[in-house]
Amino acid sequence: MFSKLAWKNVRRSVKDYGVWFLTIAFGVCLFYVFNALENQSVLRFLAQNPKVNVVEAIQRLIGILSAFVWAVLAFLILYASGFLIRRRKSELGTYLLLGMERWQVARLLLVETVCIGVLALAAGLALGVLAAWGLSAFTATLFAVPMTFFTFELSLPALAKTALAFAAIFLLVMVYHAFAVSRCRLIDLMRANRVNQTLRQRSLGASVALFLVGVVLLVIAYAMLLTRGLLRVDALFWVMIGLGSLGTLLFFRSLSGFLLRICQSSKGLYYKNLNLFVLRQFNARINTTYRSMTVICLMLLLALGITASSVGLNNTVEQMTNEMTPRDMQLIFWNEPEDPEPDLAAVLKEGGFDPETECSAWLSFPVYQGERSNVLSQADYDAMVQRWGKKEADAFLEREWVEVAADETAQTAPLNYWYFLADYAGDKNAAEEKFEEAVSGLAQLGGFSWSSKLQNWLDMMGTKVLVLFIGLYLGVLFLLASAAVLALQQLTQAADSAGQYRTLSLLGAPAAMRGRAVTAQVFLAFFLPLSLALVHAAVGMTAANAVIAEVGKVDAASSSAVTALLLLVVYGGYFLATCWGSRRILRTSR
Amino acid sequence: MEPILRVEHLVREYGGKGSLTRAIDDVSFEVEQGEFVGIMGASGSGKSTLLNCVSTIDTPTGGRIYVEGREVTRLKPKQISRFRRERLGFVFQDCNLLDTLTAFENIALALTIRRVAPGLVEKKVRETAQLLEIGDCMDKYPYQMSGGQRQRTAAARAIVTGPALVLADEPTGALDSKSAKLLLDRFEALNRQREATILMVTHDAFTASYCHRILFLQDGAVLTQLERGERSRRDFFRQIIGVVTQLGGDQSDVL
Repeated sequence: MFSKLAWKNVRRSVKDYGVWFLTIAFGVCLFYVFNALENQSVLRFLAQNPKVNVVEAIQRLIGILSAFVWAVLAFLILYASGFLIRRRKSELGTYLLLGMERWQVARLLLVETVCIGVLALAAGLALGVLAAWGLSAFTATLFAVPMTFFTFELSLPALAKTALAFAAIFLLVMVYHAFAVSRCRLIDLMRANRVNQTLRQRSLGASVALFLVGVVLLVIAYAMLLTRGLLRVDALFWVMIGLGSLGTLLFFRSLSGFLLRICQSSKGLYYKNLNLFVLRQFNARINTTYRSMTVICLMLLLALGITASSVGLNNTVEQMTNEMTPRDMQLIFWNEPEDPEPDLAAVLKEGGFDPETECSAWLSFPVYQGERSNVLSQADYDAMVQRWGKKEADAFLEREWVEVAADETAQTAPLNYWYFLADYAGDKNAAEEKFEEAVSGLAQLGGFSWSSKLQNWLDMMGTKVLVLFIGLYLGVLFLLASAAVLALQQLTQAADSAGQYRTLSLLGAPAAMRGRAVTAQVFLAFFLPLSLALVHAAVGMTAANAVIAEVGKVDAASSSAVTALLLLVVYGGYFLATCWGSRRILRTSR
Repeated sequence: MEPILRVEHLVREYGGKGSLTRAIDDVSFEVEQGEFVGIMGASGSGKSTLLNCVSTIDTPTGGRIYVEGREVTRLKPKQISRFRRERLGFVFQDCNLLDTLTAFENIALALTIRRVAPGLVEKKVRETAQLLEIGDCMDKYPYQMSGGQRQRTAAARAIVTGPALVLADEPTGALDSKSAKLLLDRFEALNRQREATILMVTHDAFTASYCHRILFLQDGAVLTQLERGERSRRDFFRQIIGVVTQLGGDQSDVL
């Protein structure tokens, strides 16, 4: 009997469960994707090299981060559950009035939660599997990973972990429901539908003034950011953050009044369809929504910033490795002045790495202690030009702070250290392994250090993959959180204004016109914070680009594209769900 | 001339098989252009159901309703909206003003929904407000106005569009006697000066005494009719009381 009632309830209140469902589905998807990282083509590619242990580090870090993500998702889902309970207070009151026990009502809610929860979990996992595959394809092209590492696979541990994590959240929801039902008093439940709205109107003139102050504060904060840059964290930095936040707050606090004032001055706009109603509703609500709008705007900014810069930072591994280590391998050797001059090539050959067969081009030469800097003899320089060209040779001088001197001048100066530069022939991985073994022989003769393109490339890629994944994880989480909170707020407001829409219907406003008014309200609530966040992000990214440009070049097009795509899917999804839900709540039969 | 409202053999049944209730049982009547007609009856007599059927909020089970010769019982949802905004005006007991809008904007909204040219809106609103004597509270919000002012604002909203028929459901129900009298005076003025046709549901004999003609409903059927003719309102009021008393001692709640 109860399960039948519960199932009927679920089907009837599917409009209320919409956002709850979406939040769980997106949450599950996010959680699965980042706990199934071992299937990512980039990480498989990195993992095949045993010298790089970055893969394990990434997975451990993501695992720790997942606890935080879990907490945020749990909070969101509980918040959504609270909304559901509030919406159905009078229904629950009726059950209690009819003599149902509290535990029976709680069990009814439990069955409903399980029904929707299981569906949402399944949908989220399906979405997660697809998203993981998409992310794998995206990062594979981003890092130019060979297609052999790109496969489509399920991660069973991640599936289990996700299911477990969300089962725990459902458990929390159930406890919350039981708590909510046990605490409610019948009289409150029955009265729940009578909403007492206290309206505080403020003068529109004050709104306009506040709006201008807010804009001025924002402009000052922008100017400070652009002139000072992003990374100077001192007292003024916090002043700048404070000005920006306060400016945002004032902006939203006064925006509705400002909009109202502007529209009132244009009669054609104000007295058109339901415009005056929409603007007035928005203005009346702003007292309760401006704080959350500010927080949402800043969260969105964080999401946009993190996503865009972490994606942007990742596009340049190949190029940066080439700049840092143009040769496949570079060895530096030094010893005490009284020791004999070593023949590096011979020592390596003895160790099993014959430069003549293993390398396509190699060069070994000493540098001397010059007057101002290290110097290189003209003969060795000529040899280098002959091997790799004049451009490369000059780049070497600049990179290593070495100058060229005439042979006689150079050779009279004290010896400093030797260079051994080489490009591998054939299989680079095999060659490097041989070299690594051979180079240990040098330890008896003196000190040495070496770096290789392969090593650098893997190191750099590991770091960037880490930044990318963590950035995306947090970015999407913040995006999800802000959209879900907004959606629930809008649905609550829609439920509160049902009476007003009934009046509009009686006045003869057609369903399409009322629908447009609902959409306009939801649109304002979703896109005002988004537009300001985009402006903030654009200014912030301009400042951040200066920083990122030092680390690597930002690929603006691809980072914007990825950010836009995520925004479209998550934020757009919530926007549509909210429009749909609000319209359903406000649809009157006749 | 075609009457503004013609109701023919109207039937409204509630409930399913076995427990059928006839809220309205074969009601027929007409309202002519410029008439001020009252419907009286005890609670449960079907007067609100009748009004809901005429205002297209409810769908009758049988019979027909014509407004200006057009059958409204067969209208599609889109046509219903159009019919409501172009031909009908509503005044409710709890006035149903939108509490986020000023009195002026509440009245203006009825015009903007009809897509009246924005330039005309202010002029029309001011004229109507003048007629209902609420010109001085145009910039107030509903919660800043008295009950009487709110109800007159609602009346202004109902007639600003120049509807063929104004439907009032217990408009004085929530008002004290002074505000009620003021509102009814204004209804009378509307009826005379704007030739507005008004159909008003009430259970109060004093309110009903402002009408030209009164239909008495009992158990969903028209029991009797009373015409004011050339009599004074005081005489008419006595006559109404007489009918109400005649209806029976168990009908004491009519008063």
